Amino acid sequence: MTLALDMITTAAILFIVASGLLAIFGVLKIINFAHGAWLTVGGYCAVVCAQAGITPWLSLPLAFVVGAALGGLTERFIVRPLYDRPLDAILATWGLGIVVGQLITLGFGRDVQFTESLLPGAVSFAGVDYSLYRLFTLAAALVIGGGFALLLDGTRLGLSARAVIMNEHLARALGLDTAKVRAATFMLGAGLAGLAGALLSPLTSVDPTMGVGWLVGAFMLVMAAGSSFAGLAVACLLFGSAQVIVSTFVSPILGGITVAVLSALVLRIRPKGFSNV
Amino acid sequence: MSDAPALSETSASRPSRRRRAAPRLALLAGTGTALLALALLGPEVFDRFTINVLTRSMIYAMLAITVDLLWGFAGVLTFGQAAFFGVGAYATAMILTHVGSSPALLALALVAAVLIPAAMGWLVGWMSFYHGSTAFYATVISLLVPIVVTQLIYAGGATTGSSSGLVGYWGMDLSLDGYFRLAGVCLAAMTVAALVFVKSDAGRVLTAIRDNELRCAYLGLSPQRIKIRLTAALGAAAGFAGWLYANASGVVAPEISSFVFGTELVVWTALGGRATVLGPVLGALGIDWLSASLSGEMPFLWQLVIGALFVAMIIVLPNGLAALVTRGFGRRGGDPAMGAAPPLVEAPPAAEPGAAPLSDLSAPLLAVRDLSKSYGAHKVLQGIDLEIRPGELVSLVGPNGAGKTTLMRCLTDGDARSGGEAEIAGRSIDGLTPDRIVALGVGRKFQVASVFESLTVAECLRMARVSIDRPSPWASAETLALPAAAIEILRLTGLDRMLGAPVSLLSHGQKQSLELAMVVCLEPRLILLDEPTAGLTKTERATIGAVLRKLTAELGCAAILVEHDLDFVRDISSRIVVLHQGRLVLDGTVEAVVNSDTVREIYSGGGHA
Amino acid sequence: MPDASNPASNSAPNSAPHPETETAPVLALTDLRSGYGAHDVLNGVALEVRAAEIFALMGKNGMGKSTLLKTVLGLVPARAGDVRRAGVSILGATPAALVASGLGYAPQEQPLFVDLSIRDNLRLALRSDRELPGALERVAAHFPFFLDRLGQKAGTLSGGEQKMLILSRALMLRPRLLLIDEISEGLQPTVVARIAAALRAERDENGTAVLLVEQNLDFALSVADRWAVLKLGAIDDEGDNDAQARDRVLAHLKI
Repeated sequence: MTLALDMITTAAILFIVASGLLAIFGVLKIINFAHGAWLTVGGYCAVVCAQAGITPWLSLPLAFVVGAALGGLTERFIVRPLYDRPLDAILATWGLGIVVGQLITLGFGRDVQFTESLLPGAVSFAGVDYSLYRLFTLAAALVIGGGFALLLDGTRLGLSARAVIMNEHLARALGLDTAKVRAATFMLGAGLAGLAGALLSPLTSVDPTMGVGWLVGAFMLVMAAGSSFAGLAVACLLFGSAQVIVSTFVSPILGGITVAVLSALVLRIRPKGFSNV
Repeated sequence: MSDAPALSETSASRPSRRRRAAPRLALLAGTGTALLALALLGPEVFDRFTINVLTRSMIYAMLAITVDLLWGFAGVLTFGQAAFFGVGAYATAMILTHVGSSPALLALALVAAVLIPAAMGWLVGWMSFYHGSTAFYATVISLLVPIVVTQLIYAGGATTGSSSGLVGYWGMDLSLDGYFRLAGVCLAAMTVAALVFVKSDAGRVLTAIRDNELRCAYLGLSPQRIKIRLTAALGAAAGFAGWLYANASGVVAPEISSFVFGTELVVWTALGGRATVLGPVLGALGIDWLSASLSGEMPFLWQLVIGALFVAMIIVLPNGLAALVTRGFGRRGGDPAMGAAPPLVEAPPAAEPGAAPLSDLSAPLLAVRDLSKSYGAHKVLQGIDLEIRPGELVSLVGPNGAGKTTLMRCLTDGDARSGGEAEIAGRSIDGLTPDRIVALGVGRKFQVASVFESLTVAECLRMARVSIDRPSPWASAETLALPAAAIEILRLTGLDRMLGAPVSLLSHGQKQSLELAMVVCLEPRLILLDEPTAGLTKTERATIGAVLRKLTAELGCAAILVEHDLDFVRDISSRIVVLHQGRLVLDGTVEAVVNSDTVREIYSGGGHA
Repeated sequence: MPDASNPASNSAPNSAPHPETETAPVLALTDLRSGYGAHDVLNGVALEVRAAEIFALMGKNGMGKSTLLKTVLGLVPARAGDVRRAGVSILGATPAALVASGLGYAPQEQPLFVDLSIRDNLRLALRSDRELPGALERVAAHFPFFLDRLGQKAGTLSGGEQKMLILSRALMLRPRLLLIDEISEGLQPTVVARIAAALRAERDENGTAVLLVEQNLDFALSVADRWAVLKLGAIDDEGDNDAQARDRVLAHLKI
């Protein structure tokens, strides 16, 4: 039972981390390698809240806003000049990640920091004791997934974003301000990365390189997901479960690369990944 | 045949070629000498700390060269070279730690450090490059490889030393200075080798692939196979650097195979200047040495500066510092159109294994039965039956969206069609990739001139011969040997006097003619041409028309021509086929088709035949 | 559907000035040049479209007709010359700004979001959903069939229905100038007739100007007031839609 819960919550955490990256990839067709840096920034938002004695719940909106604001700047000054050079955009955002990481190191030092759990303790669930906070991440993933579904299907921004994803030329020809759609999407994606960082901080520790470890897994999941949130959910469930199984029965170290390796294999066999589910 | 009188004028370009070869040799010799001097004299000048750091920096510079060949020249952005380096270093350290240290074992370690990464590189290449794979995907795989290797090292327990790595084994019996010199000599050798290779005919193939992979495939090359081999070879080179590193440093740690180190290599290459070889070498030496010197005083600030510089460079100066330097010096002067090029000579006709003799006019060269193509529920082509024999020039006409270009694609890519049969010279093209169909004797000219923008006219033509004349990996051929028909096209269009000109300076019409000449260089038996006259002047059209008539009527080629200029079609075709809404509605002589009511209706009513 | 037959009575809040008050042509191109990469497609085009006029632009494939529309809309940058709307140069304006100022576009290639519903395809032409009911009513006057099928995916419509949807979408914002790219291609005569009727109604009742790119000579001359033939990126011939028009155009188009 614990294993099943581990699988589901691991998938939830992966989904939280990767969703912002997917939003940006879907609309801008650009991989944002600064995603890990925004994640780290979100983690430090939680640290700041803890140090200031503010309720850790406030760190979630704070991380989102800070991430979105930084994302807006990034889009304007780094990503926008590189729309025609997607491989260079990977490099430039990676370089930005280095800069952000070093700035954090200068400000907070290299030491590992810990934050308080939002929801300490465990609950009895179906006969086993399970971490309340991990269950909370599941709820958070559902909220984020549901939020995206609502946003895409229920709002004009969502409709515009879908139009840009499906056929950017036509969207432009119909007079949609595609630059605005891109900027809004990038801010949303970066904000989600920050939020993910704050959400993750009680589960892991916070240090200046915290985001890098998550980046590659999230990146591979996004590639496997195609441009679809349903695809991402499927990929997270499948590969997250596989990761838990490998970590439990083989080696936790190899478990860490399960997601990435499986994603790559799936892409080699099925270049469209899970985009059709 | 090089003394053919018609070609004698091209030999005038000979002296200018010598003139250009001289500075290139000087550059090579200068680079080699400078690096060797650094290697040999360095220990006399530098203190121990600098010697130590520079030994490492020079090994890293070798890695930067491999990144540059892959990314700068072949266009494959890779973060994976660190993995091959790490595997080479670990293979060495593991043999020396667990088996023992002796000259024989050192040699064994060297073999392992080269062969294992080479095999890995082949596997990674196979994963990354296949018909239809994207550049993104290859980069993704290159990111994954170092992560997998690093995790395997962590998981390896005592065998790999896990997170603390391996230390305390005995490498080669060399002093600090000795290692410095060895690394320096290796770097000099590799730099010179890389410089020679990228200027050679084989090296230009990499640039051609970066420029235009599709055109390469339609010149009978397999970009996938070439990139797989390149990945394997550069994996081996990185493994060799790893062997050197494991010996020189006496310690291996998981970080040397991490993707973070892989990205650092890319940063150095980018800052130094991609596609220059020397830029990445200097970038790696300079930045790694500066990092070591400055990081004591301001460790994080230094990384910050590098990161910020990198971002700025990618955005405003994507070709790195080397671009600034070359821009500063300016172009070497002179008229670029008069650039150096090898003299033209006529090539003997290539053997055509299994080809039906051209005199056998009864056997169809192309046979298509009930071919169809659909995208989902949308049927683009259906029930196409078509036979074409040697010597025919068949024009394919029809309104926009009739499926003409799609039909061309179905004939040159064995996986493109959805149903029906297509045979070329009696061989089914089922499942054949474009390069294999080209090998059956098919040449395809695209609608938008598809040439190599960073090459010269002569180099483009040479690319078209690569599948027939194997290119040298270390030299540039003395002459440009082309089939007589291709030379004829060059002469008619005046391109024979512009062989040394960069393609980017050609006019639209000249590019169209160049592409046609490249297709003819393949000595095809069937030529597919998609609107070869679009955007051309009247004279240029007439020239291309004359060439096509000669190719078919005199040389026995068959040609399929997609064309909107109906005057042109009427002038040169031996047969016209009308495609409308995905169906073949008419197939007959020029007279019959031009006077048919169906055609008039299609073209005036725009609609419903 | 009360009152749907008279779309002019449906007053939008920011309706454009009445055509008679405009003196400058709705659209004027002078020496317009544009193209892709090293390839020039338009080599100096000059033409004028006036208010309440349907102007048919014909020519064979590859002569630059579609490129001309894209250049007017700012999708392809102009390299030289000028594009004026009601006397004001619009060179360099974004497509978003031009559409907002009253340009409607019915593209030829990949003209619909096939995986989106009819409603969403139409919504994308508007800037706010509040305008939707009024605009729907307006275009339903011409093509009422999709009012009860708004949830259907655009990709599942028949070819003719798709073309009517494309035209409807271009009409949603009450454009002063419609740019239409080969709307009749592959259509049955009955559908062509409905489209022709809709274009005439827009011209006569709202004073809309139409730049109609066509290969279907019969259709084009059944609605056009004036015509021109584009050849190799320049105007080869032009005239009023009079008794000689058909023969003159056909001389340029025939095989």
